[in-house]
Amino acid sequence: MPSNYYDSDATELVETYDFLMKYIVIGEAGTGKSCLLHHFTHNSFKDHSQHTIGVEFSSRTVRLGEKRIKLQLWDTAGQERFRSVTRSYYRGAAGAILVYDITNRESFINLSRWLADARTLASPNLVVVLVGNKSDREDDREVEWAEASRWAAENDVHFLEASSLTGENVEAPFLMAARAILLAIESGTLDPEKAGSGVSYGDRALRRVNSSSRLSFGSLSGSARRKGGAVKLKVKNWIPGSKCC
Amino acid sequence: MASATSSPRRPSASAQSESSQSDRRTVSATQSRNPVSQRLSKVLGTNFDNEDTRQALRTLSDLYAIPRGKEVHIVVDDGDDELGQESFETPLPAPTIVLVESVPGESAARARKNLRRDMETQLAEGSRKFLQALGEVDAKLCELQINVAAMRSSCDEAETQLALTNESSKLLLERAGSLRDERQEVEDKKSIISLFLARFTLSEAEIDALTSREVPIGQRFFQAMDKTERIREDCRVLMAGEDGSTRAGLEIMASTSSHLEQGYEKILRYCSTEFRNLGRDSQLEVSPGIKEAILRLRKRPELLTEALTILSETRQATLLSSFIAALTRGGPSGYPRPIELHAHDPLRYVGDMLAWVHQAIAAEREFLESIFSLKSDGRMVGSVRNAPQSEEEDWMRELMDLAVGKLCVPLKLRVQQTVRSQESSIVSYKIANLLQFYLMTMRRTIGEQALLSSTLKEITDIAYRVFYDSIETQSLALARSRFDHDDPSLTPPHVILDHAQILREVMQVYQSSLLGDEDEDEINAGINQVLDIMIDPVVQMCITNSEEKAKLRPRWDGQVFILNCLCYLQGVLAAFDFTTQKQKDLQTILNKRAKVLTDEHRDSILRDAGLWEITEAIVHHAGEEPLSRIPAAQPADLQRSLKNFSAWLSGLEVVQSPRLSQLIIQKMHTRIHQDALARLAQTYRRICEEVKNPANRYEAAATLLGSERPFGQVHLLWQIFGLEEREREEESESEDDESDGDDSDGSGSGKEGSEE
Ligand SMILES: Nc1nc2c(ncn2[C@@H]2O[C@H](COP(=O)(O)OP(=O)(O)OP(=O)(O)O)[C@@H](O)[C@H]2O)c(=O)[nH]1
Ligand SMILES: [Mg+2]
Repeated sequence: MPSNYYDSDATELVETYDFLMKYIVIGEAGTGKSCLLHHFTHNSFKDHSQHTIGVEFSSRTVRLGEKRIKLQLWDTAGQERFRSVTRSYYRGAAGAILVYDITNRESFINLSRWLADARTLASPNLVVVLVGNKSDREDDREVEWAEASRWAAENDVHFLEASSLTGENVEAPFLMAARAILLAIESGTLDPEKAGSGVSYGDRALRRVNSSSRLSFGSLSGSARRKGGAVKLKVKNWIPGSKCC
Repeated sequence: MASATSSPRRPSASAQSESSQSDRRTVSATQSRNPVSQRLSKVLGTNFDNEDTRQALRTLSDLYAIPRGKEVHIVVDDGDDELGQESFETPLPAPTIVLVESVPGESAARARKNLRRDMETQLAEGSRKFLQALGEVDAKLCELQINVAAMRSSCDEAETQLALTNESSKLLLERAGSLRDERQEVEDKKSIISLFLARFTLSEAEIDALTSREVPIGQRFFQAMDKTERIREDCRVLMAGEDGSTRAGLEIMASTSSHLEQGYEKILRYCSTEFRNLGRDSQLEVSPGIKEAILRLRKRPELLTEALTILSETRQATLLSSFIAALTRGGPSGYPRPIELHAHDPLRYVGDMLAWVHQAIAAEREFLESIFSLKSDGRMVGSVRNAPQSEEEDWMRELMDLAVGKLCVPLKLRVQQTVRSQESSIVSYKIANLLQFYLMTMRRTIGEQALLSSTLKEITDIAYRVFYDSIETQSLALARSRFDHDDPSLTPPHVILDHAQILREVMQVYQSSLLGDEDEDEINAGINQVLDIMIDPVVQMCITNSEEKAKLRPRWDGQVFILNCLCYLQGVLAAFDFTTQKQKDLQTILNKRAKVLTDEHRDSILRDAGLWEITEAIVHHAGEEPLSRIPAAQPADLQRSLKNFSAWLSGLEVVQSPRLSQLIIQKMHTRIHQDALARLAQTYRRICEEVKNPANRYEAAATLLGSERPFGQVHLLWQIFGLEEREREEESESEDDESDGDDSDGSGSGKEGSEE
């Protein structure tokens, strides 16, 4: 019956969000970008993953504290021949998930090139999270955690290791980036109202409703936190109710 | 106050009197015989202390009571009064009596004196009063009797009346009963009707929700809509029954229909307003109200169409202005930079535009999916869609087509400009391939029929045409050019190297544009035109041009030059798998040219080896005359030839040919040279056979042959040449031709060429 559609908590049934963010997923071919994204959006490992042709789009809404954030995700091809295509998608991205393969040193060595590209082509406030993928293959490791961590610190990007196979830490990079972006908005360095920031607000009217019905959102975020037990990310610095909403 | 029974220490009065009575009985027992004493004791024993006596005394006392009044002065103290109770002889309270006792006890004395009389008087008086009263009673009773009689008659009358009335009210009662039944019936009907009405009509509030502009679209409205729909559905079911359509049914249908339509109109108005006011934002979120409204409007396709038309108009305008803004202005703060800022970098410019459109399509699709309440299937935009074609899909496709279609004009204009202004054929080719890539992507995303797809097809075709035109112009210019006749070198000239370099780059671009899912025919088809344009005229020009030059410059080795050029081109092709067809074609030409050179080389070797004349003689020898009689084959000539041959065998030319060493492909040199040597060996064998043939009448043939190396031993010659012995020349030659066609020899040599 369509009328069910419209009951009191209909706003929770339909996908609403407070922010919309554009992310790009970049890195050498075969590092597992598509698998990482697939696990993030489908919660399962992507079998028989083929090289990505050009770019592919997917989206998912996540909760961070009381905020619902819709992520527009652009999975790019790592193969050199698609560079000219994929680079056009960096434009106006708010977040970049930079992926290397811990079992492939080459993919780590080339990170600087990827990062430089992203920094010049995406939005100036681009938040980058470095992901060392395939952490399940410890035996074949060619890049030490400490080394990557050092590189991340030197280049001012967030860092963690993940496995698209086991699902370990698969959500964390996306949430990490979202959190950093929200913090940037809060501190005023990023303005969602500006086109090209890679972030925009959700429906204004809904936002008004949401802010007045904090309780229902509180309960939602409560369940999210419970479910998010696997996510190794503590949402503690984020203070809700600040001027961004 | 303690009661007598509850205080045992104080004997009650009655107990005391009992004990005194028993005392007296003891006395009387002693004198029981004496009647006087008995009487006396009886009198004495009489106890007046009982209620009757008291009552009698009180009566008396009342009778003689001293009346109390104002005018009467009674000087009696309370003590007297108490005493007076015992001395009941107080004078009668007759009004005539002087009431004041002058002497104490006076009235008592008087009372005692007059008691009898007084009593009698009193009695008489009482009796008289009694009689009088009874008389009155009698009279009243008589009256009562009369009344009773009257009453009886009235009662009888009333009873008759009552009976009558009863009779008549029975009818009334019956009527009342039936009326009551009727009323019940009516009431039942009424409740049924009101239930019916509640079920089959809309309340004021509901009508209001449907029709009034005051009530916003929301839960209340949608519930009213639901009810209206349900009423109509129920009504239709009822009317489909045996009774057929009733007036009520028709009326209900009529009124609900009007309300329903007003409701739908209201939804339409709502959607129209909402759609018109959709933010100029390219990132959209859809309110639940809109989703519900669109779900509802699906039952009114014409209204849905109207609403979606408005939506489409807004989206078209919004997308177009966003696109123009992205192109010319960039973000408000300049970030990201306007796309046109990179117009000087054609690939980036075109790529950025197309990527913008692609991303807009993704966002638009998400927006439309939420408008139509479609759950995103997690399918990625850009990947192949094989979803069943639902009505919503059709709508979405059309809306996407329209929204994105508006971008075609500015897009086409800019891409065309960029494409046309390219001078480098490589860049043109890259742009064309990029366009082709997006054409494929868009076809998968918004369908082949979409305006954007056909526009992209158009621009892609233009880009390819521009590219083909440019390489054609280039090839033709090359074909028209003449080699420098003063240049003695036999290696491919610069014009060809440059041309080949462009070809190589084009093929590299093509290779990287392959997605890996094409079959071989598709792959070849994609490049064949390029190869035809870039190879054929050049090959042709190479051959004719060289022959021309060779004529003017006989010392310049045109054959070697042609082979060098062709091998070089072959080498360029051989680096790419998709050129096999062209390689084959080229190889055929190459083989032909190689054969010419091989023939020339065989002859020249034969000459150099000194066997030319004798061979000629053998070949042309016919008829009866023995060979030994033919000039040039006579034993002395033969002897000389064999001697020359022997000398040649110790020379360098056996290993390599100075002429062939000009070939850039060493392998080709070897092959041609070995061919010539093989033929030489076969020729030598033939000479031996002919010499040994008795018909040719050579004397001491064996000695003749054995005088010079290789002493008539053919196999020795093969050994010297380092070759496998071949049987017959003709056969091996034809074999050679065949194998050359698909032999790896050519491409093998080509590969060597590419490495140089
Ligand atoms: N063991 C293991 N294998 C993985 C993991 N992630 C990806 N792979 C494998 O790595 C290969 C490449 O994965 P993709 O996701 O297609 O790589 P990609 O980065 O998208 O490659 P491109 O699209 O060409 O840029 C696949 O064979 C995956 O099965 C992981 O976490 N663990
Ligand atoms: Mg991929």
